[in-house]
Amino acid sequence: MYQVGCTAAKALAPTAGTRYSLAAMNVLGIETSCDETAAAVVNDRRERLSDLVLSQTALHAVYGGIVPEIAARAHLDHLDTLIARALGEARLGWADIAAVAATGGPGLIGGVIVGATMAKAIAVVREIPFLAINHLEGHALSARLSDDVAFPYLLLLVSGGHCQLLIVEGVGGYLRLGTTIDDAVGEAFDKTAKLLGLPYPGGPAIERAAASGDATRFALPRPLKGRPGCDFSFAGLKTAVRQLVEGAGSSPPTARDVADVAASFQAAVADVLVDRTTNAIAAFKRRYPDGAVLVTAGGVAANQALRDRLSDLARRHGLLLVAPPPRLCTDNAAMIAWAGVERLRLGLVDSLDFAPRPRWPLDPTARA
Amino acid sequence: MILALDSALSGCSAALCEGQAVRAQESRELAHGHAEILLPMVKRVMAGQSFASLDRIAVTVGPGHFTGMRVGLAAARGLALAAGRPLIGVTTLEAVAAAVDSVERAGCMVIVALDSKRADIFVQCFAADLSPLAPAAARRPDEIARDLAAPGASLPLLLAGGAAATLAAALSARGLTFAVSRAAPRPDAATVARLAATRPLPSTPPAPFYLHPPAVTLPAGGGGPLPR
Repeated sequence: MYQVGCTAAKALAPTAGTRYSLAAMNVLGIETSCDETAAAVVNDRRERLSDLVLSQTALHAVYGGIVPEIAARAHLDHLDTLIARALGEARLGWADIAAVAATGGPGLIGGVIVGATMAKAIAVVREIPFLAINHLEGHALSARLSDDVAFPYLLLLVSGGHCQLLIVEGVGGYLRLGTTIDDAVGEAFDKTAKLLGLPYPGGPAIERAAASGDATRFALPRPLKGRPGCDFSFAGLKTAVRQLVEGAGSSPPTARDVADVAASFQAAVADVLVDRTTNAIAAFKRRYPDGAVLVTAGGVAANQALRDRLSDLARRHGLLLVAPPPRLCTDNAAMIAWAGVERLRLGLVDSLDFAPRPRWPLDPTARA
Repeated sequence: MILALDSALSGCSAALCEGQAVRAQESRELAHGHAEILLPMVKRVMAGQSFASLDRIAVTVGPGHFTGMRVGLAAARGLALAAGRPLIGVTTLEAVAAAVDSVERAGCMVIVALDSKRADIFVQCFAADLSPLAPAAARRPDEIARDLAAPGASLPLLLAGGAAATLAAALSARGLTFAVSRAAPRPDAATVARLAATRPLPSTPPAPFYLHPPAVTLPAGGGGPLPR
């Protein structure tokens, strides 16, 4: 059996005179659910002792998207050395690690299996708890690592695979208010970038191009804007961008055109996110009248223009916008380690027969 | 003391061996779910034994089913990293060949054939003393049969491995005669341990031996979304 309760309790109990009294509880985190191989060590004092991310972007760029088998192979090739480096940078040995947390899903299953299996192996050897972390929970709790945000808070989770609004009531307590009915928002960024001939990944490329563009030049649709509810839709926006670009004829678009399309697209996305989040704020306030914080997380939350719009929105509703630093918004292992710290404190450890999950909704009661 | 693992094909096994003696072993046939089964199995096989007492850890590196191979290698690399013990890789083909009884294989050419989940099979030919006669390859059964039917090959053929029946059908179609080994159709961790015991330590950790490049299929409009 795991000495789960034991390890966690000893590390947490501030009993004077024991060797645990001053020791922080260090958790190793592993993230391999998409195209970043990542390892990090985080402690229960919210310190990121190491935070390494090895991007596979170059491996996938030629395909214009992530190839799952290539991703899985690359994770296996690099993960063990990356973990060793993460321990080294944290200046810790195995004896200092209280638990190992790995993304257990959702994501590209080949990669998730590599990370979760290596984490289990480490847990077996070191006789420490293994924690299978929902990648979305990693994003959802990252604002507690960066800014020590208290529960409950409203969360806008925007990434390459997800676009959701949730109320975060506690660790493991998520109430989904809305999700995308078609594409994820990051996917819309990637596809728009591809149409414009911008490099993959599309998010940063669109943001750079949009900086010098005229957002009012092209009138793009704002799907679901003004409608009740908190769901999203981006398929129509994506199609409109394609028609716009393809309708321009065979000559390649000028830099001016690219910048203006990027800016118009980004403005449309921001309008949609602000509109849907406005409805979510009302739902959040109904449930938690004293609720004070709007958090945005996920790779798309690294976009500064979106952060500015959301910050303005939050202020107008008497909320504070907390957006973790971009480094913690894009995929990383520090947020997985942190979710591990949070779950370990509550004794929410996992068994070695945990089955990695390609799909894993945060709110199990939400409709598909 | 050696801990050996295999999860590269339609099963999982783990064994703890000391010299010729098998201290503990477990094996289970399964098509899916290697990631759930393997580590609990390792924990049971290592019950009461410290990882620090291992001389080395051994694992099958393939060829095999991609996901299962990666479960085995990710587990083995994780164990080796956390225990600070050296890791040795053994191919599935040589592990299956080594499990063929020495009396059975005397005077024969041993042909190991393993399922690739595609139209081809993973194949390697060994002499009766188990020295490889050719590199491992992924080939169609009819091509293998054509080559074996060519003049010059005269040794009796002994087939082994999970795809032996597939290869046997192709050889029969060419009118070739052969025998099929009674040996286990997939690697056995105790045999993996025995093979690893005498291998020199590699300078780099064992890498997966895929034999097949990644199947790259681009969805319309570029890369696909992540599952939600």
